[in-house]
Amino acid sequence: MSQLSSGICRRLNEAPQEEIEQLASGHTVQLLSVKKVSPTTNTTTPTDRYRIIISDGVHFIQAMLATQLNDLVTAGEINKNTVVVIDRLACNFVQDKRLIIVLDLHVVSRDEEKIGAPTAPPAVQEVTAPADAQAAPSFVASPAASSSTVQAKQQQTRTGPSTGPSGRSGKSVYPIEGLSPYQNNWTIKARVTQKSDIRTWSNQRGEGKLFNVTLMDETGEIRATAFNTVVDDLYDKFEEGKVYYISKARVNLAKKKFSNIQNDYELSLEKNTEVEECLETTGVPMMKYSFVPLSSLEELQKDHTCDVIGIVKEVGPIGEITSKASNKTIPKRDLTIVDKSQYSVRLTLWGKQAEQFTTDDLPVVAFKGVKVGDFGGRSLSMVSTSIMSIAPDIEEAHLLRGWYDGIGSGESFQSHSSALSGASFGGFNRNEMRHLSDVKESQLGMSDKPEVFCCRATIAHIKSENISYPACPTQDCNKKVVDVGDGWKCEKCDKTFERPEYRYIMSMAVADWSAQAWFQGFNEAGLVVFGKTADEVHEIKENNEAEYNALMAQSTGVTFNFSCRAKQDTYNDQTRVRYGISKIIPLDYHEEAKCLVELLKSSWAQ
Amino acid sequence: MSDISMRVNAGRLAGLKGRTVRLPCKVLRLADDTALVEASDGGQVEVQRKNVDVTATYIEVVGSVVNATSIKALTAIPLDSEGEIDMKLVNDTIELSFESRFDKVFPRYTDSI
Repeated sequence: MSQLSSGICRRLNEAPQEEIEQLASGHTVQLLSVKKVSPTTNTTTPTDRYRIIISDGVHFIQAMLATQLNDLVTAGEINKNTVVVIDRLACNFVQDKRLIIVLDLHVVSRDEEKIGAPTAPPAVQEVTAPADAQAAPSFVASPAASSSTVQAKQQQTRTGPSTGPSGRSGKSVYPIEGLSPYQNNWTIKARVTQKSDIRTWSNQRGEGKLFNVTLMDETGEIRATAFNTVVDDLYDKFEEGKVYYISKARVNLAKKKFSNIQNDYELSLEKNTEVEECLETTGVPMMKYSFVPLSSLEELQKDHTCDVIGIVKEVGPIGEITSKASNKTIPKRDLTIVDKSQYSVRLTLWGKQAEQFTTDDLPVVAFKGVKVGDFGGRSLSMVSTSIMSIAPDIEEAHLLRGWYDGIGSGESFQSHSSALSGASFGGFNRNEMRHLSDVKESQLGMSDKPEVFCCRATIAHIKSENISYPACPTQDCNKKVVDVGDGWKCEKCDKTFERPEYRYIMSMAVADWSAQAWFQGFNEAGLVVFGKTADEVHEIKENNEAEYNALMAQSTGVTFNFSCRAKQDTYNDQTRVRYGISKIIPLDYHEEAKCLVELLKSSWAQ
Repeated sequence: MSDISMRVNAGRLAGLKGRTVRLPCKVLRLADDTALVEASDGGQVEVQRKNVDVTATYIEVVGSVVNATSIKALTAIPLDSEGEIDMKLVNDTIELSFESRFDKVFPRYTDSI
């Protein structure tokens, strides 16, 4: 006869939740009965569930068998009176009752007699222990759900008696995760992690004002927006960082275009929405970040949002930008931040944040929800939903501080601002490179809007007849000048010049492994391809045909990275797509080889 | 011996004794008949180089493997490109070339010597 771990049943029945999971492993018990339970109407899964009665020889208690162990029953491995050792169990608390679920066990012996004379354990006054927020008794056991990260006493089941310590009679607090348009009798308790400024708009349909807040509790985040009159009521009530009880707001489908918050729904604050400040802030977490190391910013798509944390190495001066859309001047400031991945990146602050940013030392700053741009390679920009916190009291910040004070300040950083050609980049994005047949097939540029793309191709042929044109030497005026006999006249500037400045205008056939296409290059392109100014090449063409041909030949067969713009052009009733070169970059084989190695190691290549 | 010579680093020499290999490396010390070089994985190898000229800092030694730390050079090809070569990149490429998914891309040693 096997030796059972007597006393375990009683302890399982009485122990508080935190202890239970450690308790059961390794204890020997006998299964007095194994009975199939018909699936209740609540559960959605049609799998069988087995209720078992486990005995330690002294007492017996009821428990459920986890579905992953169902096979043991169907195979006959465990049945009545089998003695087993429990390897793992979980405990769900449902409506004030505890439900033990055996997750893992192994059989010791079968076909024994009933050991001992177990009786029901003494009744225990069940404490209103923290229950799983999901009301429906979920029989699919998972230790994570039961020993939830719920802070004690904050979450209660919707149907359970509310003994809320918050003092609000009757209302039980709902998790943000559980909000849906189908239930409107809820109250959430959440912290305002971000409050936007009041924004006014006017379009064809009228005008109005709005503001939004981001609310966060331990189950998730949700955005809430207030419009027009509600703005006046609620704007001052909400303060960033404080916790509020909110109820009677409308739950709508989220407009993902306007927000980066991960939630399918968002709240509309209305006239009858109740907002009450909550003084008990236990249980509601502070900011949740998922930081991206600066070195991996290149992998993120443009316009994506991310969280970063770094040391502010450089603070730029305040500048001003005039918004083309609204003709308003907006202050901006650039910061350079660095982090442990030994990368640096530029981050732009706007508006009030730009004006107010002052630090004398090099603080650690955490940014949440900043937008990734491709200005100069990779750049970051604050948007209305971004949150910046200087010297936050989180572990990541302390680690950064330690790193920087130790070795970081001496290190040199790799910059995301591409150093390839100094001036601001046309955005050569290696990750979004296409091949020529793809460009042609997807009819880039066929629609009315010009579209940009990047590719790598080899110059197959340069149309050498018309390589350049005489242009007006005035800065930025590139208009063609006409030979009027004793000079060259520019129509736009109304000036005559002795000699024009030649500028390249080239038609090149480029090819890659997939297809060939005709690209139009302008002065910058010509300079890169030939390595000489258009004036020089024009000279050679006039004077020395052999040398000119040699130059053409030498420039073909060279491979470049291109950044192009595809646009529709109508020429004599014929509409064609023309590919203009915005940027042409000679290959840095080292750089390209490194990218290829990365690509080969990535999951794409497996 | 077949005509195939694969690019290797110091770590791979042990498994290819007697084979002809190519070893891209940086010359550390030059002596009359030998040279001490550092391969792309950092390992040091002794090159026996009777009648083989070494003219650059970075070279590719083509030769037969004597043992895990020594190679008998047949020829040395200069590799210099403006001073520094990224040996880590070279090493990544070497390791990648031995992966089975690239069997069709790189010629492999057949088993007969």
